[in-house]
Amino acid sequence: MFKDLNPILHSQLRLALVSILITVKEAEFTYLREKTNATAGNLSVQINKLKEAGYIDVIKSFKDNYPQTICKITPQGVQAFEEYVKDLQAYLNIKK
Amino acid sequence: MENNIEHESPLTGEQSLQLITSMISKAKNEFIDTGLSSLLWGSVITFCALVTFANYWLKWPALDYVWFLTIAAVAPQVFIGIREGRERRYKSHEGSLIGGLWIAFAIAIFIFSYVANAYPFSQATSVYLILYSIPTLAIGFGRRFRPMIVGGIACCILAILCTFTPSPYEMLCLAAGAQLAWFIPGLILRKCYLQAKRKHV
Repeated sequence: MFKDLNPILHSQLRLALVSILITVKEAEFTYLREKTNATAGNLSVQINKLKEAGYIDVIKSFKDNYPQTICKITPQGVQAFEEYVKDLQAYLNIKK
Repeated sequence: MENNIEHESPLTGEQSLQLITSMISKAKNEFIDTGLSSLLWGSVITFCALVTFANYWLKWPALDYVWFLTIAAVAPQVFIGIREGRERRYKSHEGSLIGGLWIAFAIAIFIFSYVANAYPFSQATSVYLILYSIPTLAIGFGRRFRPMIVGGIACCILAILCTFTPSPYEMLCLAAGAQLAWFIPGLILRKCYLQAKRKHV
């Protein structure tokens, strides 16, 4: 019996975001937008969803008088991502 | 994949896996090094070593203090570090590791310089070259950057060569080590950085 894939992570943009944030320590909003090719509006919405789920931390500050948003994955986010990959492997029948 | 990212169509298992792989590889390949630090230290060490070598015959007392330039070079290094940190739009785990490695290297060099001055011994240059090779090889292998691997290996070979080289000729080994480990890789990094920057403009 297959376990359902985590619906929060099983979305293109949110999965892309978490995949990037798992690789780096923290990333600015502009960097995430460039890597995902998403629009600022959609990216903000998806970041908020991940934040509400407790998967990422969002730090808002100012850099050279411009607002800056930094995203960072939380331990809960790391765990959710690892479980998602495990479930995906089981779903695709990939043996480690 | 990235062209469809905006469009929230249901993901298949294969697509999810492909997306994860592509995003991780995109983030991993985003390695930015301006090459300025390598150029700075490669130039300073080469200059100090060559001046020490020349001073063997010149015998100018003021030139005995040329190695204090390495302490003065910390100021531009801090400036470069701050500027690079501001330019960077992400922080990597690798960056923290490399930062720690350079701090450990700086501490080791500082302590060894103190010990070598307090208790002079003939093979100090070999030890300096071995110390140079450690971060150079670690970064070269870590980033799969061949010029630094070659530079690190060259430092080890030069360290052995130094043991057979009389003073002041071992200073030429030190200068060669600084060129191969830092200056030349720094030039290559700088060229890559400027090319990447031009592409993004």
